[in-house]
Amino acid sequence: MIEETVIIVLKVIIMKSYDILVIGGVAAGTKVAAKARRGDIAASIGVLTEDPDISYAGCGLPYYLGGVIQTRRQLVVRTPEELKRYNGVEVLTRHRVTSIDPDGQTVAVSNLETGGKEAVSYGKLVLATGARPVRPPIPGIDLGGIHVLRSVTDADSVQASLEGKDDGKVVIVGGGFIGIEVAENLTEKGMDVTVVEMLPQILPPFDPEVALHIQNHLKEKGVKVMTASKVEAFEGDGTVEKVVTSGGAVDADLVVLSIGVAPNSALAEDAGIELGLRKAIKIDGSGRTNLPDIYAAGDCSTVDHVITGDEAWVPMGSTSNKQGRVAAITLGGGDDAFPGTLGTTVVKVFDISAGRTGLGIREAKEKGYDPVSVTVPADDRAHYYPGSRRIFVKLIADRGSGRLLGAQVHGRGTIDKPIDAMVVALTMGAKVEDLTKMDFAYAPPFSTAINPLNLAATVLTNKMTGYMDSISAGEMKERLDDPGWDGLVLDIREIPEHMIGAIPDSINIPYVEMIDRLREIEDHKDKEVVVVCNVGRRAFEGYLRLKHHGFEKALVLEAGTKGWPYGLE
Amino acid sequence: MMAEFNIDCKGMQCPGPIVEVFKKINSMESGDVLHIEVSDHGFHSDIQAWCGKTGNELVKLEDNGDMIAASIRKA
Ligand SMILES: Cc1cc2nc3c(=O)[nH]c(=O)nc-3n(C[C@H](O)[C@H](O)[C@H](O)COP(=O)(O)OP(=O)(O)OC[C@H]3O[C@@H](n4cnc5c(N)ncnc54)[C@H](O)[C@@H]3O)c2cc1C
Repeated sequence: MIEETVIIVLKVIIMKSYDILVIGGVAAGTKVAAKARRGDIAASIGVLTEDPDISYAGCGLPYYLGGVIQTRRQLVVRTPEELKRYNGVEVLTRHRVTSIDPDGQTVAVSNLETGGKEAVSYGKLVLATGARPVRPPIPGIDLGGIHVLRSVTDADSVQASLEGKDDGKVVIVGGGFIGIEVAENLTEKGMDVTVVEMLPQILPPFDPEVALHIQNHLKEKGVKVMTASKVEAFEGDGTVEKVVTSGGAVDADLVVLSIGVAPNSALAEDAGIELGLRKAIKIDGSGRTNLPDIYAAGDCSTVDHVITGDEAWVPMGSTSNKQGRVAAITLGGGDDAFPGTLGTTVVKVFDISAGRTGLGIREAKEKGYDPVSVTVPADDRAHYYPGSRRIFVKLIADRGSGRLLGAQVHGRGTIDKPIDAMVVALTMGAKVEDLTKMDFAYAPPFSTAINPLNLAATVLTNKMTGYMDSISAGEMKERLDDPGWDGLVLDIREIPEHMIGAIPDSINIPYVEMIDRLREIEDHKDKEVVVVCNVGRRAFEGYLRLKHHGFEKALVLEAGTKGWPYGLE
Repeated sequence: MMAEFNIDCKGMQCPGPIVEVFKKINSMESGDVLHIEVSDHGFHSDIQAWCGKTGNELVKLEDNGDMIAASIRKA
């Protein structure tokens, strides 16, 4: 009896104890630790993580595989030694937390190097356990050569597998952001890359026609893309050799699984911490869980959506860092809150870039809005200034209230600027009307006199007020695919432009000849006549003339042939 | 005798350059070559597509990022 007591007392004395204990040491975890230190110089702060690396740029991993980032060290923002030296934070890597005892304020830890077990006590606990790549139980998934990409260690093992296979065949399962970034990087390296996606489109956060533009560009660059193809099995003798999908089999020397991530929340759930959407740890805007003294931040936790106010789960490095900062302030007794996410993302795919923020059309409908949108091509800087490139701006708004709901921009030019401006507009609750005349910066090397967002908002206003009736490429495609559609596609470009590539079954009457030749389309006066040009500008002029001459159902094809992703003839 | 022609479409925006090419080529003889300089970036893909459709031969296509120089031999 006495002996037992002595042991317990000894255990308590030698048990590690921190005022602030953080589980997980990547984006959110290290942010919490560093910020908590600034708030409280005296507190003892510890970080436990099973990963051998901390504070790394997961977002940089595709570029590390591609050789754009050349050394491993560049990916690691801070080492444990640095965090100790500069921030006074003690980091224990290769330490996995196996359970939390909220009443006793302790966690059970297993040392992955020694196999030893210990308990660590805390004053405040922060869960920054992140997310893990999903590995569905597909036959053959445990074969060699099938990788995920989440940590620097994962990247190391992909690198090792790639060794000596510079022209090898890579199959990427999942066409999300990570899959597409890896596809780009490995293609640039000279590898033969196929992306297999279960859904009918890649990059699901984008509206289908925007995603199709990116898919077309991938194909142009030699990446094979199989959409609506579900992986059924991996085959091989020890190592993967073939990926069997519902759309056919593909040879593979290497597979990268990037079909999504799931929050690491089992630890929290077992401790009685409430989970929310997608089984992420439910937190309030300030980072608190339902249990006292326990907080969460980053990919393991929920986040509110700025526009809808609903609970969301959008695991992003950008959000994780900001949530980490908020949680650190909250646990230090401060008053701070994270306003939420807009689901903003941006991706580079070879020569084009694409970004989105806010709600897409489908999401907007699901949330009960009545979305109206327009896609407008624009130059990213004065067309006569060297380096000017075209971008396509899609704006989405709520028809009734005029409130902006989202934007999607893609093209060869600068797209993150309009996206970031839209982030501000959406966060402040701006309306389409507000955006038409905002005083954006202009000089030829930077932008255009009427900024792309001014322009897009003006065109959307025209559409919303009924001054212009227009349809998107997707809506045009639906008409073409509908055997019952009795309308006409009127291409008003010059003859050589029409020769180069035209919407299937369109007739060509150049704009300057239009008025003289209207009798050729007289029989369509009561039917839809969709006016087409390269980008939509001439089509709008043509549309106004048609309307004037009594073609009541005339329409403009938004973004013209340049914005048509379904193939020209 | 094969003849060579030059047109300068620098500063011209779409569809100017391709319309100029179309007009000029129509006035040329088979085997003649047309050299053209264009600053509008869309011309890079347009001229390839146009030559593909018309059977005219694209003997040169240079793009330094700001300026495109192309030469076309009439079929
Ligand atoms: C290839 C790739 C590209 C990306 N690109 C972008 C991008 O361009 N933009 C962007 O915003 N985001 C991007 N992200 C997402 C971004 O990396 C994540 O949002 C970010 O890493 C999340 O940080 P976190 O700290 O919440 O979680 P994580 O990075 O997941 O870190 C959690 C850590 O906790 C550890 N851990 C978990 N459970 C335990 C336990 N029980 N005990 C001990 N340790 C534990 C894990 O091992 C891990 O080290 C990308 C991610 C990847 C993988």
